[in-house]
Amino acid sequence: MFNLEESIKNWLTSFYRFNAFQHGSIEEMEQHLRDHIEDLIDDGLSEQEAFDKATKSFGSAESIAIDQHKSNKPIHNSHSAMYLNYLKIAVRSFSKHKSYATLNILGLTMGLIIVLLIGLFVSDELSFDQFHKKKDQLFRVVENQHYAGQPLFPVAVTPTALGPALESEYPEVLNFMRYTQNSYVFRQGENKITENGGIMADGSLFEMFSFELLDGDISSFSENLNGLVLNENLAEKYFPNGTPVGKEIELDGENYEVLAVAKNVHGNSHIEFDYVTNFEKYLQEDTSRASNWASNWLYTYVELDPQADLSNLNDKIIGLIKTNLSKSVSDIYLQPLLDVYLGEVDFTAEVSTKGEMMYVKIFTIVAIFILLISCINFMNLSTARSAKRAKEVGLRKTVGASRRELILQFLSESMIMAFFASILAVAIVIILLPVFNQITGKSFDLAYIFSLENGMRLVVVVVASALLTGLLSGIYPAFVLSNIQPLRTLNKYASGRRGEWLRKALVIFQFTISVILITGTWVVYSQFSFIQNVDLGYDKDHVIYMFVNDQRKVFAEEVRKISGVENVGLSNRHPGYVMSSTSAFDWPGKNPDESILMHFMGVDENYIPTMKLRINEGRNFLALDSTTVMINERAKELMGIKNPIGQTITAYGERKIVGVVDDFNFKSIHNKIEPIVIFKLDAPPRAYIKYDPRQEEKIQSEIEQVWNRMYPNQEFNPYFLDRDFNEMYEAEKRTGSLSTYFAILAIFVSCLGLYGLVAYAVEQRKKEIGIRKVMGASVSRLFLLLSTDFTRLVIFSLILALPIGWVVMDQWLDNFAYRINLSIWVFLSSGAVTIVLAIATVSYQTLKASYDNPVNSLRDD
Amino acid sequence: MISKNLTAASSKPIILGILKQGSSYGYLIIKKIKEMSGGEIEWSDGMLYPVLQRMVKEGTIRSKWIVDDAGNTRPRKYYEITELGKKELLEEKKQWMKVHSVLGLLWDIEPSV
Repeated sequence: MFNLEESIKNWLTSFYRFNAFQHGSIEEMEQHLRDHIEDLIDDGLSEQEAFDKATKSFGSAESIAIDQHKSNKPIHNSHSAMYLNYLKIAVRSFSKHKSYATLNILGLTMGLIIVLLIGLFVSDELSFDQFHKKKDQLFRVVENQHYAGQPLFPVAVTPTALGPALESEYPEVLNFMRYTQNSYVFRQGENKITENGGIMADGSLFEMFSFELLDGDISSFSENLNGLVLNENLAEKYFPNGTPVGKEIELDGENYEVLAVAKNVHGNSHIEFDYVTNFEKYLQEDTSRASNWASNWLYTYVELDPQADLSNLNDKIIGLIKTNLSKSVSDIYLQPLLDVYLGEVDFTAEVSTKGEMMYVKIFTIVAIFILLISCINFMNLSTARSAKRAKEVGLRKTVGASRRELILQFLSESMIMAFFASILAVAIVIILLPVFNQITGKSFDLAYIFSLENGMRLVVVVVASALLTGLLSGIYPAFVLSNIQPLRTLNKYASGRRGEWLRKALVIFQFTISVILITGTWVVYSQFSFIQNVDLGYDKDHVIYMFVNDQRKVFAEEVRKISGVENVGLSNRHPGYVMSSTSAFDWPGKNPDESILMHFMGVDENYIPTMKLRINEGRNFLALDSTTVMINERAKELMGIKNPIGQTITAYGERKIVGVVDDFNFKSIHNKIEPIVIFKLDAPPRAYIKYDPRQEEKIQSEIEQVWNRMYPNQEFNPYFLDRDFNEMYEAEKRTGSLSTYFAILAIFVSCLGLYGLVAYAVEQRKKEIGIRKVMGASVSRLFLLLSTDFTRLVIFSLILALPIGWVVMDQWLDNFAYRINLSIWVFLSSGAVTIVLAIATVSYQTLKASYDNPVNSLRDD
Repeated sequence: MISKNLTAASSKPIILGILKQGSSYGYLIIKKIKEMSGGEIEWSDGMLYPVLQRMVKEGTIRSKWIVDDAGNTRPRKYYEITELGKKELLEEKKQWMKVHSVLGLLWDIEPSV
């Protein structure tokens, strides 16, 4: 039997399912239905017919609820209100879970600090030479020399006649510029000061390159043989009162006119100078100089027509030197200006301000990895917490939140965190700048970072990194969390096991990276200390040297009298930096078709004992020797002479070989030892003083006294051989200390993540632990139970990381001619370090949980 | 039969128009629409209520429950047009007339303004 009241009641129930309907509106609809049914009954329908017709015409509760839901939304600015709401929820959620939020923000901040610092470093490295307006048209001319039995020999310097020949013979070449480093003795009043930072250049320097002039006029530089351009520093030093432009200054006893003052070029140009003199002056001193094709000593640059075809031109010019010098072994090609600083070719006679593309690449990869590690922490912590937030999600979904809205909400939480972390990171980076400058040898300052242009860039970087980090770390948790089924969240036993395998994979990934970084650091450090202690073949320690302009023998004799000075030797080259080489030497039995490159240097009879070079055959030079030479073992080998002593070698005249010295490193340790011929000179200009380190200060001051007595108007300017040596390996040293910091941060951030995960796992298993304790489990047993899981992950990372680290580091070491052998112990030790750190991280939480009184965990609910 | 979209678009001016003639409640409003359109405008009755609530929120109409003291009739929620609603109706009227005249010109019938 049909019951109208019962049917209406059932019908209404279908509306109560939806909470879109506000108070009273269901009642209103009920009255509507009743009115309609009444009218239909009046029209003669039965109760049941009337009910069926009225409900059908009313429509389904569901479709009305959807309409109602839409009309419930706020009318104006619904979006901004929504976003405000997200913000509110995010802030609430942070303040509710303070330790979780702190952990997350801390991790992200660490990651961002690294990214910002590396970003600064890399962008600075990449900015080299970018300020030249014609940068895309400018090229450096470089050589590939080919010698029999020796590897390809790339050389950065070229002969004098090359530049003009390129310009006159090839229409694509619009202009050329040659320069070389030079030093002059500046005179200031009665004092003479050697300034080493000079260059001698063609006047086209200022036409082709965009070095900024602060004062003066450069147009007469090409014609004015005694014209001079000073940088700000020297202008300030020699003309403290007012502009130097138009004034004269004495260089090497000759008057020069200051034409202009140039802005200091330091830090972003591979061509550096303190002052510029005119190359034309050098050419005019001897007219034969301009046509020299034989000696490579100048950096040559050309400016090409913008339409020029580079590879075509390279094909045409390749043999230009050989055409003009039949015995030459040099091919030339054009190297783009922007490739010079970070170029990967290891040129001989390269400029001293050379960067390393390898480090730029390594650091970029490290930055990306560390950012990834911190994003992974965020993902892991967020998804692990999904159980806790599941109820919230369930509730939101039930009251009508769409998946899109939930994703937006979670993303905005991660973005807000990332934004906060970015600001924190910038602040910390600013505090760290001085330390960072010290490590990298750069000179970033606040003025630089906050200058208008860079300040804007900074804002862009911060916002971009916040968005990127927020998105990267938030997107996965957002999808996981928003996918939670409301019904399952009402279930009390809903767990956070969802996505557990992914969390584990991510933990493995981040620890793998950390271990690779740790081993990398270890290897870089070992290699660096190996280099410092490698047998160079000479003794670099406790040697002072200086340039002596005249009375060299007398000076050496005077210094030798100082007690504590072991010996004084004279030479024309730095023992660790002999770049002069020629293939012009000849000896009996030499194959005339073969070209063999020999380096050469000149020393007096005291030099070899002073530097403790080992003599393997024959004898040292005697004071009266004049046409004698010594060679090294490598030269002996290449020359193919069994008994070289007493043989004659033709090298700038005929000379007798009197001795063979053991191989010594006269170039970077990156290079294998090359052949060298040592000439006997009477009094070459560099004095090397070997002294007793226990009396270092006393000896130095006594040397200075001798100097001041003999050269009252010349500046005493001593150098230290071991410092030079350290500077040569500055790049390795920097990499060493930078990678140490990076590795520390990486492992710290990884442990931070692990800490969060363990804290969460312990929280999840609180009850289980309580019950186990009640049942009699010991603390050590519980500790093992809780730690094993995570330790296993870390061990798995080790297994992954070790082979990868091995391959990568082995490749890096191949850059060195002298390298350590990778030992399995390095890898095992860094593995051990990682495990110890990971266990320490896990222990705190697990021990706390194991010692906790089970009553606490079992009491609630 | 009038299409769904057109029905939805015209619901507001129609409701405002009906309420302009005097306050009314849901069931009566639907009844009137059906009568006036000769059943051509098909509403499922329930759809009216979300629209009414939306309009209340916008401020073009307002509502109040009226319970007959004698208890002869059921309590009903009456809707009446507000000043804002009247203005809105004028605006709607202008727009509909514009559409009407454009269509009229296109289809060669006299605009009946």
